[in-house]
Amino acid sequence: MVVFLLILHGLCAVALLGAITHQTMAAWWPARKAVGFTPSFRAVQGAKFTNAIVILFIITFILGAVIYPPYRLNGRTYLETMRMWSVNGSFELKEQFLAIGLGMLPFYWHVWRQSLDDTLALARKMTSALLFFAVWFGFITGHVVNNVKGLM
Amino acid sequence: MNLARITPIFSAVFAIAYVIAEQNNLALFTYHPRINEWGFLTEAPRNGPGMYWFGWIGSSLAVATALTALSVPILRQRSVPSIIGWVSPLICMVLFVYLLRAFFFR
Repeated sequence: MVVFLLILHGLCAVALLGAITHQTMAAWWPARKAVGFTPSFRAVQGAKFTNAIVILFIITFILGAVIYPPYRLNGRTYLETMRMWSVNGSFELKEQFLAIGLGMLPFYWHVWRQSLDDTLALARKMTSALLFFAVWFGFITGHVVNNVKGLM
Repeated sequence: MNLARITPIFSAVFAIAYVIAEQNNLALFTYHPRINEWGFLTEAPRNGPGMYWFGWIGSSLAVATALTALSVPILRQRSVPSIIGWVSPLICMVLFVYLLRAFFFR
């Protein structure tokens, strides 16, 4: 069951990564025409991703919280025994970044609401960038930790 | 209810409250994973490690909700700068990198 939840957590994280990356690129580096791969990637309406990002963030967060106790008992104990401090510290940072991201979600949802308020353009860019960073950091860290020591 | 006022305050307060809760281990509840038991507030580990992360989030949620609710009548006639909604989380994230630096320099 734990492995199933871990895979589900990872799959939700992949979907979240895609959505937040599209939105962040569209906010920071908008493309007028969808010509070619990179401009097409950026030529999306960022606001259309907002609700999906909020829902995926919460689902991924809850799944992560459910599989956290097995990590605490097996994974972290192993990392401490093996003195893998940087991996352990990366996971600590992951949990703090994502908790702060969770608290920022209402504000993020507000600034990305339709119709978009021009005075909140900077807030849109920054909230997306912070979530982008937190989600990518969490994803990579989670993978590294799982490769070092799985939950079983 | 004006979201333009309350959401930046909630975001800012949550981030600050979370840093304070984590640094001082002020958990609203404690989970004991080995025996699958929950305890109220910060408890010493029982038969294995204690998990406080859930409790820190709970503490931050409670503080952010309470302070946001208290701020509504005070800020009724004032505008709240949206910048606090992302500057506070940004500073707190950078602060955590500093606070947890010992993990990376052992």
